[in-house]
Amino acid sequence: MRTQHEIEVWGTVLFIDVTSEFEIEPAIIELTEYVNHVDEVFSTYKTNSTISQLRRGEIEIDICSPEVIEVWNICAYIKDLTEGAFDPWAVDGGFDPSGLVKGWAADKCADRLAKAGAKHIQINAAGDLSLRGGFTPEKPWSIGVVNPDNRLEILQAFEIQDGAIATSGTYERGAHIKDPDTGMIAIGAKSATVIGPDGAIADALATALMVSGRDGAVWFTTPELSEYSAWVIDRHENVAWSIGPATA
Amino acid sequence: MKRFLLITAGTVGSLGAVLSITPPQLGNSDLGLTSSAGNSTSTGSSSTTANTTSNSSTSTNTATPVTTPTIKSASGTFTGPAVDVSYGMVQVEITVSNGKITNARALQSPSGRSDRYSSYAIPILTQQTLAAQSTNIQGASGASYTTYGWRQSLQGAMASAGL
Repeated sequence: MRTQHEIEVWGTVLFIDVTSEFEIEPAIIELTEYVNHVDEVFSTYKTNSTISQLRRGEIEIDICSPEVIEVWNICAYIKDLTEGAFDPWAVDGGFDPSGLVKGWAADKCADRLAKAGAKHIQINAAGDLSLRGGFTPEKPWSIGVVNPDNRLEILQAFEIQDGAIATSGTYERGAHIKDPDTGMIAIGAKSATVIGPDGAIADALATALMVSGRDGAVWFTTPELSEYSAWVIDRHENVAWSIGPATA
Repeated sequence: MKRFLLITAGTVGSLGAVLSITPPQLGNSDLGLTSSAGNSTSTGSSSTTANTTSNSSTSTNTATPVTTPTIKSASGTFTGPAVDVSYGMVQVEITVSNGKITNARALQSPSGRSDRYSSYAIPILTQQTLAAQSTNIQGASGASYTTYGWRQSLQGAMASAGL
């Protein structure tokens, strides 16, 4: 049976679309506990979260839980891969992995539902999606990229059987991503979408492309990202450019 | 939550399917979100006491009665209730053309430190609207500012429009 659920968490609403042959509700309740746990650990708005303690320098990364170390290591990996365009250490107030935690957590949620036996899974964490098993065995999930100027319009759709898609953008309220080098608002792109196998990496790359704009095409072509695709709306020219297998 | 039931009952097809979601374990959160009284739309049809058992809709326009979920032909702008989300107020206005939402904007939204909440947000509105309007898209990637309060206000605006 296909069911849809919403969980209020992370300052937003987590949207879940899942098909299973059994009663999914217990798994959803368990998932709710998990996402609240993620919030307790990673929220920069909770003074007692691990991340807040890290930011204040009260604790060192090596004594943190494995999940925090995992996120820390992905951050370091992507910072290196994007030549510093993604840099959670350059954020005011200290290390802030918010640029990839939603994508990372969406993956964890999808994996948990898959492990519970669900067949077709969509986790939508504020525009960062993790997908498992296709919409049906024969039909991939079809996910639309929203026009940053009109959220009710789909500009482009991507079909994903298993994987992730993440979009960063500037919104009505203005850009919220800063260039680590200059401290200025990122102006490289108006909207950046990344499709690939890993949600955390897709989320971080989308953030990085907001900073780099077209210059990001250079580091995006590294063989390590051969499974990832980007679809980017230019900041100034209002045209889109793309790279990677999903956009071929 | 009664209005929520009204929306579900009075809406056809996939939109109803999307809106009939019951968020798990949101009881406490629901209590924390209070719609301010007297802030409904000019049509007066976003009342929080909408009757779920009869056709006694107070709407003066084309709001759809519960038992006849047929024509969605509302047009115009509809305003949802202002919702207190503890870090500010959220109030949504939608523009409807022939029963379809063509735009939505915030008349009020949190500011200052809570910008983060706003920009963090999910396109639940987009998800719901697009899922209702397109059978070929199952999800949306992209951002808008949407909070739980946004959604509550949106539902009020949609109820006003008879959607």
